[in-house]
Amino acid sequence: MYRRLILMATFVLALALAACAAPAAPAAAPAADAPAAEAPAETSDPFRIAIVMPSSTTDLAWSQAMYDALKSVQAEMGGEASLEIAYSENMFQVTDAAAAIRDYAAEGFDLVIAHGTQYGNSMFEVATDFPETSFAWGTAVDTGTEQGLENIFAYEAAADEGGYVNGVIAALLSEANVIGVVGPVEAGDAKLYIDGFKKGVMDTKPDAVVNVSFTGNFGDTALAAEAANVHIQAGADILTGSAQQVVGAVGVAKENGVKWLGTQSDQTSLGPDVVVANQVYEWTGTVKDMIAKIQAGELGGTAYNLTLANGGLVIAYNSAVAVPDDVKAAADAAIAGIEDGSITTME
Amino acid sequence: MRGIVKRFPGVLACDAVDFDIRRGEVHALLGENGAGKSTLMKILYGLYSHEEGTILLNGEPVSIRTPTDAIELGIGMIHQHFMLVDTLTVTENVALGLPSSRGPLLDLDRVAARIRELSETYRLDVNPDALVWTLAVGERQRVEIIKALYRGAALLILDEPTAVLTPQEVDDLFHILRRMTQDGHSLIFISHKLHEVLNISDRITVLREGKLMGTVPAQGMSRADLARMMVGRDVLLERNRSPVAQGSARLVLENVSALGVTGHESLRGVSLQIHAGEILGVAGVSGNGQRELAEVIAGLRAVTSGWVEMDGLDVTGQAAGERTQTGFAYIPEERMHDGVVREFSVSENLILQDHTRPPYSKGIFLDFAHIAQHSQELVRNFRVKTPGIETPTKSLSGGNIQKLILARELARLPKVLVAAQPTRGVDIGAMEYIHQRLLDQRETGTATLLISEDLDEVLALSDRIAVMYEGRVMDIVKREETSAEELGLLMAGVYPER
Amino acid sequence: MLNELFTLATLIGILHSGVRLATPYLFAALGETFAQRSGVLNLGVDGMMLMGAFTAFYVAFNGGNLWLAVAAAIGVGCLMGLLMGVVSVTMQAEQGISGIGLYLFGLGLSSLLFKTLIGSVESVSGFPKLALPLLSDLPIIGYIFFDHNVLVYLAYLMVPVTAFVLNRTTFGLSIRAVGHNPEAADSLGVSVNRVRYVTLIIGGGLAGVAGASLSIGLLNVFQENMTNGLGFIAVALVYFGSWRAVGVLGGALLFSLVNALQLWVQVLGIPIPSDIAVMLPYVLTIVVLTLTVRQIQQPAALTKPYERGE
Repeated sequence: MYRRLILMATFVLALALAACAAPAAPAAAPAADAPAAEAPAETSDPFRIAIVMPSSTTDLAWSQAMYDALKSVQAEMGGEASLEIAYSENMFQVTDAAAAIRDYAAEGFDLVIAHGTQYGNSMFEVATDFPETSFAWGTAVDTGTEQGLENIFAYEAAADEGGYVNGVIAALLSEANVIGVVGPVEAGDAKLYIDGFKKGVMDTKPDAVVNVSFTGNFGDTALAAEAANVHIQAGADILTGSAQQVVGAVGVAKENGVKWLGTQSDQTSLGPDVVVANQVYEWTGTVKDMIAKIQAGELGGTAYNLTLANGGLVIAYNSAVAVPDDVKAAADAAIAGIEDGSITTME
Repeated sequence: MRGIVKRFPGVLACDAVDFDIRRGEVHALLGENGAGKSTLMKILYGLYSHEEGTILLNGEPVSIRTPTDAIELGIGMIHQHFMLVDTLTVTENVALGLPSSRGPLLDLDRVAARIRELSETYRLDVNPDALVWTLAVGERQRVEIIKALYRGAALLILDEPTAVLTPQEVDDLFHILRRMTQDGHSLIFISHKLHEVLNISDRITVLREGKLMGTVPAQGMSRADLARMMVGRDVLLERNRSPVAQGSARLVLENVSALGVTGHESLRGVSLQIHAGEILGVAGVSGNGQRELAEVIAGLRAVTSGWVEMDGLDVTGQAAGERTQTGFAYIPEERMHDGVVREFSVSENLILQDHTRPPYSKGIFLDFAHIAQHSQELVRNFRVKTPGIETPTKSLSGGNIQKLILARELARLPKVLVAAQPTRGVDIGAMEYIHQRLLDQRETGTATLLISEDLDEVLALSDRIAVMYEGRVMDIVKREETSAEELGLLMAGVYPER
Repeated sequence: MLNELFTLATLIGILHSGVRLATPYLFAALGETFAQRSGVLNLGVDGMMLMGAFTAFYVAFNGGNLWLAVAAAIGVGCLMGLLMGVVSVTMQAEQGISGIGLYLFGLGLSSLLFKTLIGSVESVSGFPKLALPLLSDLPIIGYIFFDHNVLVYLAYLMVPVTAFVLNRTTFGLSIRAVGHNPEAADSLGVSVNRVRYVTLIIGGGLAGVAGASLSIGLLNVFQENMTNGLGFIAVALVYFGSWRAVGVLGGALLFSLVNALQLWVQVLGIPIPSDIAVMLPYVLTIVVLTLTVRQIQQPAALTKPYERGE
């Protein structure tokens, strides 16, 4: 009996620590993010957003892009008193994510964001049960209107657009005419990006070779690093890649002095000398628009798409790496072409 | 050891027991299973603690809390279940737990040399480089003796050392033990085989139900005297075999070969027939194919050639379950592993094969009332000592588990019965009972294959005796026309001159 | 296209990648070999690696000497091993479950520490490539084997060291005995629990280095859950290697080489769907495992807590 007790205590401790690091329990998060003492001082209650993410808020990729946007909107609106943010990260298990989405809805959050295509089914179920709560789903275009749901926003990023621009830059910077792509899984956002990237390279330099590899995983940092190594050995002098695993690949690029083009978040900090430019997802506008709509009583129905034209996608250059003017000019021309529709980014 | 008291939950295992041993003597500790022999010795060896009493060594009180303490005091123990690591060599087993002359590095050459020396002195015939799992039971026991001697044991406890040995191996062991006593070693010999105890011991202490029944010199005692002290009543030591008319051949094996656990051919062209009302004994040194023979007949091991017939039906390809339904019963050698599900209750084990059929089940449900009634009856008829039919089987003694298996198998009124080592490790009272039931079964027309390493048992029960050596049947002889000597030679693979 | 795969340059590339990829698996699996040989199945390797990876990264990130970082990772790994010992040996908790608990603990704690102490993915300069003099000049072989960072060499060095400790030392003998027949070892005065504690601590230390080999050797970053289940593969490799150091080496190399091969297959554009390619190492490992596993090698007391029978 004594043994059992100690054992249980150990597990509780272990789980508590795990929970602290990845607050799966929504109850804990609001307490941390919005101290109860401050809330009553305000005349109006804060707007409350909860988000469920497949990876961590520090992944320098998909999840961090959205989390950073929420934080910047929060700062703009006047801090935690005006906008409360609760999050559950590393929810790679869809069942865990489903539970978290339901908990947040039951907690009375104004907007619950399901930040992963794979969460769709679970979120639709919860959204049916909580018609007063607003939900957002990405990467997706379906707002559930066909099913009679009016409380769902959908959002996606036209990753192919920035991919195309990155492809143009890569093609012009490459001397070997071999470019490597470290992909995660051949689907969703990553596939869009890679397809756009390839088109960008081909349209600019038809004789260049784009080698694409997938690790079959979003988080296999070690394998992504080795993939980068292989690309370099196969002759690539420019690399790009997608998902949180690329932090390993950027390291390899840095070690070998090979240029890197980032996507999703700004990855310059990982390789200040080799990261040329990043396609950055700028969700701030989307988040602000959703908040405004909800406050106006419109709980869903809009599908957002980040594009270069609407400012949701930004090509951020690293000022520490010199990019020739003609390359920049070509990239700008590509952006203009995509914005006015004269360039198609997909086959 | 004076006034030793040890309590287990609900049991007084040792009740103020006194025991002493002199230098250079063999002192036998005799008693039925559960009499407290092993418990007393485990206290002496530091495996169990005792609540009351003192242990004196050379007149000085000593405290023995762990086996290490015991080893340091020169006490060694050879457990009934050998304490050897199968995957290691003899030398590694001996060196285990001892400091090495080379600090943290093993010095196996030196250990092996010393083993050879000891092996020479006491004629133990042990190869230090052999892997333990390749050794026969007798050899493993000698490894255990070497382990104790290597550690400088002056007092050696042998817990039922002959239970697993053939007559020749027992003789060899006794020679070794005598040489050891001549060197001044003291030996405690735990057993319930009366003639062995009388043969080897200087003095005999008898325990019954945790109480000391007395210590007597071996000289002048008879087997009947000892049996009475042990059991508390007169015990029938001879078996009455009435002649039984033999019927048709119920079990036929024709040129059966099979692979053993190690993947080598362990049965080589075995042919035999057993008739209704006949007990065919199988004698042989352990590991000569007896186990595989039993498993082949039970349908637990595939044959590589030949066929098996039961009651005129070819059952070679049948699974074990099908065979049991056509009147086959099996008492396996490893009763704890193969005979019962240890965690199950007594009554659950009693209906193990038949639980899917009426009268024990109705459709997919078990009929608990009927099961309980049936179990009570068997427990009573077969004198299984158990607190109740819901008691977990693992808490029963070896003899009672064996009776439980016997009850289950015989209650099914088998036409063919294979009994492998049915009384190994079973006390004298239970043995008497099991033998009687096997003989009763014979009279009802069952064809019985009795596999035993206890030659006395084979001779006492069998009509004919098959001797196995290296997977072959050396010969099948009639019981009336053979002798222990002849069988011993056959078991060693030698055809005696007639 | 297939013939491109069989050019010398590609083959050298595959071998070079495979040798390097095997590093964390080797450290972790060799450590786990100690634990399993003594009868403890520790499924918490991944958690121990994460803690080791974080610790090493943190020390290096704050300007600490890289060897100090490795030492710290070993220390933290040892502590994790000790924790596993308390739960699974002393308290005799079911080993599989306590291992998973340890994994979650390591995963959660390393993420928590990362968020509070560092906050965002950063990079450090880890162990540089150390081309061994003379050896690295050898044609072909030199590049494949002797053109890596020092932790890679150390991982391979651990193979004979592990084999030596297990087979040639008194402690190794005790480990093997305790894993196969703890009663026998106990009856000779070998403390079963002490041996198991020590092997768990050794295993933890090596898992710590395995983590460090990622965070300050191969990748030079720390990221939450960066091991991505690598520690579980390491546990499987111990079975694969039949609980022998050389077998573990074979398993780690096979797994890594096939992984390197499939990366090359993709990079060279050989038309195999990427989903199939990434499965290759796993499928092949399972196939070899089913074909070669020999039960006799398995420590008989694996997963069984030891309690002296009374």
